[in-house]
Amino acid sequence: MNKRAITAYQKKGKFSRWAMSAVVLLILVVLPFFNHNEYHLEVLVSAGIFAILVLGLNVMTGYCGLLNLGQAAFFASGAYTYALLNVKLGLSFWVSLPACVISSAALGLLFGSCVLRLKGDYLALVTLGFGEIIRITLNNMDSLTGGPNGLTVSHPLIGFADKSFDFGIKSMPYYYLTLLAIIVIVIITNRLASSRFGRAWVAIKEDEVAAACMGINTGKLKLLAFCVGSAIAGFAGWLFAGKQGFVSPDSFDFITSIMLVAMLVLGGIGSIAGSIVGAVALTLLPEILRPLQEYRMFLFGAVMMVMMLFRPQGILGGVRILEEFRPENERVRQEEDEVLGEGLKQ
Amino acid sequence: MKQKLLILTCCVLGVLSLGAKKQGVIKIGCVGPITGDQASLGLDQLHALQIAVDEANAQGEIIPGHRLEIVSLDDQHNPSQAVAMAKRLASDPQVVAVVGHVNSSCSLAAAPIYQNARLTQISPSSSNPEISRKGYDTFFRTCATDDIQAPQAAYFAFTRLEARKVFIIDDKTTYGKGIADEFEQEILRLGAGVLGHEGIMQADKDFSPLLTKIKALEPDLIFFGGMYPEGALLVRQAKALGFNVKWMGGDGIYVKAFIDLAKEDAEGVYCTFIGADVSSMAGAKHYIETYTTRFGQERGPYSAYAYDAANIIIDATRKTGKLDRQAILAQVKATKDFPGIVGVTNFDAKGDSTIGLIGVFRVKNQAFEYVGSAK
Amino acid sequence: MNPFETFIQQLINGLTIGMIYALIALGYTMVYGIIQLINFAHGEIFITGAFFALAVFGLFPHTPQFNSVLALVLAFGAAMAGCGFLGVVIERIAYRPLRKAPRLACLITAIGVSFILQNVLMLIWGPVDKSFPAFFKHSALTFGSLRVTFMQGFIIITSLVMMIALRFFVTRTMLGKALRAASADMTAARLMGINVDKVISICFLIGSALGGAGGVMYGMYYNTISFHDGYLVGIKAFTAAVLGGIGNVPGAMLGGIALGMLEGLGAGYLSSAWKNVFAFLILVILLLCWPSGILRKSRNE
Repeated sequence: MNKRAITAYQKKGKFSRWAMSAVVLLILVVLPFFNHNEYHLEVLVSAGIFAILVLGLNVMTGYCGLLNLGQAAFFASGAYTYALLNVKLGLSFWVSLPACVISSAALGLLFGSCVLRLKGDYLALVTLGFGEIIRITLNNMDSLTGGPNGLTVSHPLIGFADKSFDFGIKSMPYYYLTLLAIIVIVIITNRLASSRFGRAWVAIKEDEVAAACMGINTGKLKLLAFCVGSAIAGFAGWLFAGKQGFVSPDSFDFITSIMLVAMLVLGGIGSIAGSIVGAVALTLLPEILRPLQEYRMFLFGAVMMVMMLFRPQGILGGVRILEEFRPENERVRQEEDEVLGEGLKQ
Repeated sequence: MKQKLLILTCCVLGVLSLGAKKQGVIKIGCVGPITGDQASLGLDQLHALQIAVDEANAQGEIIPGHRLEIVSLDDQHNPSQAVAMAKRLASDPQVVAVVGHVNSSCSLAAAPIYQNARLTQISPSSSNPEISRKGYDTFFRTCATDDIQAPQAAYFAFTRLEARKVFIIDDKTTYGKGIADEFEQEILRLGAGVLGHEGIMQADKDFSPLLTKIKALEPDLIFFGGMYPEGALLVRQAKALGFNVKWMGGDGIYVKAFIDLAKEDAEGVYCTFIGADVSSMAGAKHYIETYTTRFGQERGPYSAYAYDAANIIIDATRKTGKLDRQAILAQVKATKDFPGIVGVTNFDAKGDSTIGLIGVFRVKNQAFEYVGSAK
Repeated sequence: MNPFETFIQQLINGLTIGMIYALIALGYTMVYGIIQLINFAHGEIFITGAFFALAVFGLFPHTPQFNSVLALVLAFGAAMAGCGFLGVVIERIAYRPLRKAPRLACLITAIGVSFILQNVLMLIWGPVDKSFPAFFKHSALTFGSLRVTFMQGFIIITSLVMMIALRFFVTRTMLGKALRAASADMTAARLMGINVDKVISICFLIGSALGGAGGVMYGMYYNTISFHDGYLVGIKAFTAAVLGGIGNVPGAMLGGIALGMLEGLGAGYLSSAWKNVFAFLILVILLLCWPSGILRKSRNE
């Protein structure tokens, strides 16, 4: 393909992508009018919150190649920040938002500045340990966090003058709130990907030494990716705490972190649409399999494994790479994957 | 790309809505851990409910044209799951009441959902006193609470076992920590010394570091607030360290599985239970026989309480005569002298059962032997 | 019991569980050393070993002494053979087709496999903790108020024997040499005529068999096993492997022992509710100070 063909392809791709996104969005917006079932909406809201978490993870792992097995810790930090502000200081849901995002970003900054010089699996393992440390700490600090009992927090409330609307336990308001949140995060991460930072991140992911030679401050940029990812997780935590009306440490265990990585990889590393698809698929799958009772987690594992065997780059993997970097897809993608593998190996 | 998301969503919603709506069904929810390490407790509750519902259906229609059915859900003794399952029950208009949850932590998390949906919740085993203190008018329980159980256990330990130097261990759950804290308060008040109070992690296996430490302190009694898997490990590992001490626990270890796991080391362990010895009660005889023949296993500790909870709901539904959550709630609240198999049940203003009897058991010859009432 | 004796007792407790960690860590480290894969399913393979042994014990009403020794030998045999076979099968089905794929894909199949194994165990043996037959009835050697139970002695000695045998295998045999060659440079090893696929299979076979043996000892030590035990012990064993320098066989042994002891001391002297925090904190701190483990990889020579 020559250069003009590529541009044309990209334009066409861009248009169809917009059209497709608009259609999907429209369907998602009108969906609750046709399906009133609380439980269905509830599952979709959970899927949406996971999608936000995976989008955050995608910035760290997908863009910058930092494998994080402790994303649940930043999720917890956002959720508990809201819970504590609400319970101890009586702050409302909306007012707490900046604090939740900032606290998670700060946690990411603090932790990241210590451990980001570790590479690959070592980094993965340290993040895993960190996730567990945070969870156990939350469980043991009874006086502050209520320990295993968790904290009961208020649901969001919107008030105009004398009228007010309580989100309460109905799923519908959260459905739209989550949808809105996803749109915001998608726009942010999408802009980031094509920004100077995004390109630098990919350069770091491909070859850190080469990137440093090109004058990229790899240390700072890696830290930035880590902070952005954790801030997004904090945002998801805030949303989760408000929706749940209750936070307890078991929502933030190791399995949650692992599932997030699984969602990302299944959907396609580095792809925004892939992150969302992965999150939705892995949240809905166990629910669909629920009638199978005790066989469902078994089948869940089997589906995960078979999926990877037949499409190791994930459901939507390779799309971004194909469109933005090199056009000759098959060969390049393989090369790309090898580089990714090598990069993580180091 | 997003097309797949769309297709997936559609498929899923399609499949989910297949949970077809049949005519003429009244549903009672049953929530507890039916997979995982505490599955036996959840299944036990479910079995009790099955017996109660089948008996009721055999007696004829509850409301003209309606049959009773159970919706069994799994909360995996995880509060977040409990909330999700509670929402699921709340969103099904045919569900009129819920038996559950088994674990205090889950009941505590789910209670606001039921309150909001006006759905009656009767727990047979969530004994943490906090739940009813929160003022949910939809919450009831047939068991006694830990603020009755633990002080009576402490009284028994102090007067009958003559415990003066006590060490307290809890499993850092709503239930375990709750009962251990109450025990500590009361035994301190009675004048015994507490050498220490430590938490352990649920699902941990190795407690020998903690036990080695406690051994050096030479207590005359260890109280454990927690469930049977950890309880059995504690008792066994203490014996392996050559540490002979009196053990006492709450209703969390009053489970046959405790003895199966701890084997001969369980001998002499004391435990309290939020009720008397059900097997000695005349009214429970038929139920126990039915349970054993139908499920081919011995019933668990709370099954009689779950059976009573189910019958209170069925009775209220029958009296109400219609599928109306609010009316059934009012009827349950008005329950007066309900003749159950564990005794005559009344609910106080907070929804707690007024029976409040605490029995003490001791393991002897690989079985729980009734020692007597704690007071 | 004086404070010094308590301290020694804590070390003995820690050593015992550390030995089990070490045996499991060997499986992680061998696999990682050769194909740079975190075999997430290894924790599940380990606990499957305990369940294989439970199945064998089920065949023996172990009252007479002879039967119980025979049962023990058979249980170890079944667990090691069964887990070894399981490991090879998993590698063949779940990892080999992905050897050229991004490495994260392997991580996901590994998680998938571990879900499958965990749930198969639950479906076969049920969700409730299973009682594991007790041996030696708490008999112990006592030195003053110190106690080393026969069980602890048995675990320490058996694991040591297995580790020494492994060390001998890796350093003194042709296959071991091939294994080391493949882990140093797979392409070069292939050019030298080494059947790398076979070597990887053997690596999985040995690692999983050792994990299975660890599982039996775990069951014998705690007397209760449950299908979800694999995950926590697996992670700790993995921590041990990293502590010792992943890919490094003697390092895994040392890492296991160190982790077991440190954890025991932390739980005994500070607080048992924070026990797992100690394990992970040690990991974080050590990795920051010695990013390549206690024993540096000798691979770069």
